[in-house]
Amino acid sequence: MPIESNQPLSDLEIIDNLQRDGLERRKAEDVLFTRYAYFIEQAMHKYSFAEPDAFDIYSDTILSAIIKIIDRSFEGRSTLKTWLFQIFHNKCVDLIRKKTTNKSSVNRTISIPEVLTQVADSSKTVIQQMMDLTDKETIRQKLSELGDSCRKMLWQWAEGYSDKEIAAALNYKTADVVKTSRLRCLEKLRQLYKTQAK
Amino acid sequence: MDTQTYIDNYFMGDPSADMRKDFEKKLAEDKEFAEEVAFYLSAKDVIGEEALIEKKERFKKLYEDYKNANAAKPQKSIVRKLWPYLAAAAIIAGVIIGRNMFFQPSTEQLADNYIKDNFQTLSVTMSAKRDSLQTGIGLFNEGKRVEALQQFESMIKNDSSSVEAIKYAGIVSLQLQDYDKAIDYFTRLGNYQLYANPGKFYLSITLLKRNHPGDTQQAKLLLQQVLQNDLEGKETAKLLLDKL
Repeated sequence: MPIESNQPLSDLEIIDNLQRDGLERRKAEDVLFTRYAYFIEQAMHKYSFAEPDAFDIYSDTILSAIIKIIDRSFEGRSTLKTWLFQIFHNKCVDLIRKKTTNKSSVNRTISIPEVLTQVADSSKTVIQQMMDLTDKETIRQKLSELGDSCRKMLWQWAEGYSDKEIAAALNYKTADVVKTSRLRCLEKLRQLYKTQAK
Repeated sequence: MDTQTYIDNYFMGDPSADMRKDFEKKLAEDKEFAEEVAFYLSAKDVIGEEALIEKKERFKKLYEDYKNANAAKPQKSIVRKLWPYLAAAAIIAGVIIGRNMFFQPSTEQLADNYIKDNFQTLSVTMSAKRDSLQTGIGLFNEGKRVEALQQFESMIKNDSSSVEAIKYAGIVSLQLQDYDKAIDYFTRLGNYQLYANPGKFYLSITLLKRNHPGDTQQAKLLLQQVLQNDLEGKETAKLLLDKL
């Protein structure tokens, strides 16, 4: 259901809108975040977390929930609130464990990008080695030199939106226009990176 | 097709087996191509992180707005926070007061309660005429009230000073709702000089139960006498007087 009226969205409407494209998704994200923002206060009281910690946990909860809702991993077997609270609670417990032991830093591993799952193992290693050599900080720095529209488009792409979804969200005529513009932005970033690297 | 488009098509689409094969081959043989793939993926990674940071910034602002909105809301006073509890307490108090005001037990109910609590069964007593008394008591406790009364009256006939028989005859008459007879027996009982005589007290109970005009007033006087003369039943008499 598109968000138009002033009526508060039901949980089902939030889920429905999160699974849509563009602006409606963004608004649903905001509604979802605000609706259960009181969890932050609860964590501060219940677990004696500092506000920034409680906020980070809650933000991570919402971000991971959004991903799960979009890819339809959330099956609606419990209410949205119960499900979110479970994720939030688990993350709170993780932080408590992290604070009380150093195990988490010992066990931390660097994950291979998800996209590499479709690459053969032998090639995976080659790409991973190359990626390790890439100066991510420079990419980050050069990203800020791109124009606003380029950055927004690339953000959406990196978040996993399709060109069609990006077109709807950023008011481009077609997905093909987005693809062309996106690759042009990416090329510009690469050129900026290469100049810096030289 | 330029290299970036080729890489993008591979990762954004669903590459065919041939495309996969070609892609793997290029990766293994062409270092420049491998570097471009690495850049493409690293850039996506970094931009993804940036997007996440941007989203968190957005959430931060939303949280600030949320906090401000909550702070702007008038804080509930203690009374407002507790109002549901106060309302519940007021209702309960109202019900109790109302019950006391409007559902004050009648004099008849007071007498009924006493009869129900004390005269349902009679306890076996020890006396010289134990056998006859106990027979009467036994009959009463078996629910044979008329026979019990006959038993006690027969004893009284044989010995008009048998105060125990008079007492029980009064009680059974009361249970049989023969109030006039009960009043007669309890009046007689009350006239005896005994160490413990419940006659006047039982008489007042009977009057309350009969509830004829003037009975309550007379019962009140009798109860006052029970209290003043420290007679049998004075504790209950005090309670009854409080309610009358």
